[in-house]
Amino acid sequence: MDAETRVASAPHVTLDGVTKRYGGVTALDSVDFACRLGSIHAVLGENGAGKSTLIKIMSGVVQPDEGEIRLDGKPMTFAHPAAANAKGIVCIFQELSLMSDLSVADNISISDPPRRFGLIDRKAQRRRAEQLLARIGCEDVNPLSRVRDLPLSRRQMVEIAKALAKEPTVLILDEATSALTAADVDTVFGILRRLRDDGISILTISHRMHEIEAVADRCSVFRNGRHIETFDQGARTEGEIVQMMIGREISAHFPPKPPPPEVATPMLQLSGYSWENRLKSIDLSVGAGEIVGLGGLDGQGQKELLLGLFGVLKDVSGTVTVQGKTVKIKSPQDAKKAGVDLALIPEDRKTEGLMLPMSIADNLTIASLSRLSAGPFVNPAAMTAAVEDGIKRMQIKVGSEFDPVSTLSGGNQQKVVIAKWLMTDPKIVLLNDPTRGIDVGTKQEIYRLLRDLAETGAAIILYSTDYEELIGCCDRVAVMYDGQIVRELAGAEITERNIIASALNMDEAAA
Amino acid sequence: MTSVPSDPPASRFRLSEDDKPIVVAASFIVIILAIGTAYTLSTQGTATLLSPQYLLQQLQVGAFLGIVAAGMMLVILLGHIDLSVPWTIAAAAMMATTVGGPAAIPVGLAVGLLVGLVNGMGVAYLRIPSMIFTLGVNAVMRGLMVAHTGGFAPQTAATDLMQYLAVGKILGIPVALLVWAAVSIGVMVLLQRTSFGKSIYAIGNKEAAAYLAGVPTKRMIIGAFCLCGMAAGLAGTLLAGYSTKAYQGMGDAYLLPAIAAVVIGGTHILGGRGRYIGTLIGVILIVLLNSVLSIMQMPEAGRQVIYGSVIIGMLLVYGRGRKVTS
Repeated sequence: MDAETRVASAPHVTLDGVTKRYGGVTALDSVDFACRLGSIHAVLGENGAGKSTLIKIMSGVVQPDEGEIRLDGKPMTFAHPAAANAKGIVCIFQELSLMSDLSVADNISISDPPRRFGLIDRKAQRRRAEQLLARIGCEDVNPLSRVRDLPLSRRQMVEIAKALAKEPTVLILDEATSALTAADVDTVFGILRRLRDDGISILTISHRMHEIEAVADRCSVFRNGRHIETFDQGARTEGEIVQMMIGREISAHFPPKPPPPEVATPMLQLSGYSWENRLKSIDLSVGAGEIVGLGGLDGQGQKELLLGLFGVLKDVSGTVTVQGKTVKIKSPQDAKKAGVDLALIPEDRKTEGLMLPMSIADNLTIASLSRLSAGPFVNPAAMTAAVEDGIKRMQIKVGSEFDPVSTLSGGNQQKVVIAKWLMTDPKIVLLNDPTRGIDVGTKQEIYRLLRDLAETGAAIILYSTDYEELIGCCDRVAVMYDGQIVRELAGAEITERNIIASALNMDEAAA
Repeated sequence: MTSVPSDPPASRFRLSEDDKPIVVAASFIVIILAIGTAYTLSTQGTATLLSPQYLLQQLQVGAFLGIVAAGMMLVILLGHIDLSVPWTIAAAAMMATTVGGPAAIPVGLAVGLLVGLVNGMGVAYLRIPSMIFTLGVNAVMRGLMVAHTGGFAPQTAATDLMQYLAVGKILGIPVALLVWAAVSIGVMVLLQRTSFGKSIYAIGNKEAAAYLAGVPTKRMIIGAFCLCGMAAGLAGTLLAGYSTKAYQGMGDAYLLPAIAAVVIGGTHILGGRGRYIGTLIGVILIVLLNSVLSIMQMPEAGRQVIYGSVIIGMLLVYGRGRKVTS
């Protein structure tokens, strides 16, 4: 670790007085920013701080209104992403950009496939994919398998391999680890360090402080479109950084947990719950007022368990008992019926949670249409009242409730998804990674809300890829491995070490 | 919508984004009328186009298209399409005239409902793309009707009620126009005031999100196809009344104009957005364009070219202001 030479190394990419406005909103306000050669540089900030605009400008997706970008001291203008790619600036965006029906090899070479006689040379393409996957330690991914068949974490690796195929000198990652489990994150970090040592400058955006501590050499904090400060990693404490990001004091990250409840009648009880070979005879019981976390590595059946409960999966077996009655839930309609009262906050708010072009009001009421209607006709007064109530309850920051929900920030969009389900007065709330890609402030509001809901007697199942969240939020954590619950942790047992050990299904976990 | 580079300054332009096609289409109607009137003034010295009788007569003809387009819009809003409309019209007309008597109109509607039900089941349960499935249903209907009539125009005649609804007048207003108005009010109420309508928009925007919100998506899809089929069935019985009988291929001229009217009116062809008032204006635009071209004695070939170019041109105008997202 020749940290000193790195610190002393020359700026690689420089932004001088860059300003970008969208309509009346200033996304970046005369930002000066430099990223040094061969370092891992983390950019921190709440949603809306200007991080995404920063990388969009650097990677040629949008053009700055003022100011200039310099690469190795030479001014550059990138009219489009391909121009930036040609100069070695490659970006991995938050949303995966892979085509799920094409093979891994096809995806990796999509923008510039190796050719022979003008036609795509499939053999060369496969070799190239193999080499790139080997470079990032993913030899186990078959270049010929369809991306659709890979778990999310592997897809993210393919995404990195695809970026490397463009031979970058500057690699930008926008929340590239937000969907990954801890073990995969470590793998990615290993890759990043190796790439850095190969002389690639890496710029990464993340909301997870411990990840930044683990991997970054330098940090820059952004707030409200301004560059606040850049410092060497370790020069500022976590508290100071958080303070810079949000500009206000945060007392505690998680609301306090109540003492373990008396043995109450369980709200939801599963026994022998199975689906294909992805869920294997799961027994789980969740009491009223309890927050139960689902832990474990990505793709161990946690998502399937939530979807199955919500009636999305076909041919599940085993019994589900809700509020003392055995129920068969065959569709989301069944799930939200009175007497079952389930709600699911889905994984991907953009495709599963929201109709983005539709108004905030329409999105809020879509799950409660029947209770806001008399016969076939909706009741406009009840509708308006419900929308106002939802916005107030979740403190959603909206201009007008008739604006498309796509105009809201990620955190506020997620609040709309949650408010939509709160409107149905659910007794059991299933959450599938609800804070993914969301700013710290909103995360805390969601934690607070979950605890409040539990206190009113709801049963909550929270799947999260972030261990911190499971540890901070949950009364119990059920760790899944290969479609089974391998361990249930409660109270003081809920530690990162226990979760990880159980997630890897290690024997000493019990110790 | 995967993150589109330039986020629009949305809220302020939101309204105009949905209303812009409607304004454009309405202005185009004015242009058509102006050109047509200039032509008639220079050749005949009269402003025939602007006379109330002429306009009412055009609207009466437009009513058949308008009713078909109203149904089509529901299906397009879902992100689907119904290509079985031509032979649903013909089948409804033929069955209505065959049965005759007081049952004629209910039978015509029932034929439409049945076709819509089959379409809806195929799309919702079998998950066959509507473009293929409804095309297949159209061919099947055609075969059935040829078998029914032996390939000739049926000899049966439209009932008096059918003729009255198609060509009759109340206080000088064509009854067909009133039927169209009733259908239009029905569709507007449906889209704006019912949970069915809200669900149609939701499904058209993001079916997965609507499904996960507990919207009975299959039932809604079937419902919309049924209404579209019934609209075509109603149009078929009225058309039979208009020409006093049913004949082979009587619905062929309605498919493309119906889709065009919906899309010209600003309804997104991939579903999810659009206002019914736009469809109304789209229908009027197409009807007037046709009639001005025929007044100008444009030969058929030229009419087709102009007609097609106008549709493409208007879509280009809309396309510029819209982001292409999926």
